[in-house]
Amino acid sequence: MIPVRCFTCGKVVSSFWEEFKRRRDAGEDPKTILDDLGLFRYCCRRMLLSHKEIIDVTNPYQ
Amino acid sequence: MAASYKCARCKQRVEIDVNVRCPFCGHRILFKERGAGIKELKAQ
Amino acid sequence: MRIECQHRDEHSCRFVLSGALPSFANSVRRAMAAEVPKLAIDSVGIYDNTSGLYDEMLAHRLGLVPLRTEEGTYVPIRECTCEGQGCDRCTVSYTLSVEGPGMVWSRDLIPNDPEAAPASGDIPIVKLEKGQKVVIEARAILSTGKEHAKWQPTTVCGYKNYPRVSIDAHCDGCGACVDACPRRVLHLVGRKVEVDGERLEDCSLCRLCDKACLATGIGENSAILVGSEPDRFIFTVESDGAIPAPEILRQSISIIRARGEELSRALSEIAEG
Repeated sequence: MIPVRCFTCGKVVSSFWEEFKRRRDAGEDPKTILDDLGLFRYCCRRMLLSHKEIIDVTNPYQ
Repeated sequence: MAASYKCARCKQRVEIDVNVRCPFCGHRILFKERGAGIKELKAQ
Repeated sequence: MRIECQHRDEHSCRFVLSGALPSFANSVRRAMAAEVPKLAIDSVGIYDNTSGLYDEMLAHRLGLVPLRTEEGTYVPIRECTCEGQGCDRCTVSYTLSVEGPGMVWSRDLIPNDPEAAPASGDIPIVKLEKGQKVVIEARAILSTGKEHAKWQPTTVCGYKNYPRVSIDAHCDGCGACVDACPRRVLHLVGRKVEVDGERLEDCSLCRLCDKACLATGIGENSAILVGSEPDRFIFTVESDGAIPAPEILRQSISIIRARGEELSRALSEIAEG
């Protein structure tokens, strides 16, 4: 799961994840998405950029 | 009261006495069931 | 002492504090980050959790959810008459009960006081598959950032000295400093370098302009002087949504004032004997 807040500054970033994922998968440049979402600090940007969702991979093994 | 377990293959409830083995299907992987109580945690 | 607000909305606030000592500016910053109380989930009771996350992980995620906090509606649990038991005056309780498939959102946290709902309902907590289930009871209390960062109402909270940039008379108008400045504070007017009044506050005092000027071989002294005003500060405060940013500033000031009054009262008691 995406971390609730940015590790460094504490801004809530998880609420942007669904939109970020949808637009990134639609082929949009991550830079423009992040700018649109108002994530202008590089600490918050890396939270979304470097995130890999693995909950769907682990869920069948419960 | 011993903790109850669940077989990973046939999903039946199992009590462990001597062997770690499902008496119904022979599978050796068992999951421990969650206890009935409320688990209190600090959120940090 | 003066405060001029330049930008102000629910989410963030930018203002200039002038006529203050650096120590006072710092105490304002520290009060905003660590002294203004807000609500956050502190203890969690897990009835059932068959999701993909551990109980501890789930509790941790819930703790980080910002909760709307109105000043004065709750008292810190240590000062409460219930003596740490947890009552309506110091504790908000939430229930969360979701069955999969689907996402558990922060909006699924149902508070017993609708005023203390999560600031954002769109925070994903955990994704559930079919048959997975989460049943949780959570209790939020009022505390400060000193105790744990989840009680910190601010995310970004900082200040810098007000920049002062001046161009000396021996400037030859080569424009090297204009190209060197990453914040584009300077611009050329004809053959003269001038400071862009609107952009001056963006100056980060990096002195790249100073270095660029010296590198042109202008002489011993560069024609550009970068300094800062010692008693003026540009503050940037960002809220996590629990308390509006201007409100954080207001509360921090009244906390500092109350502290000051307490100190002077204590001192006069000592003086009287």
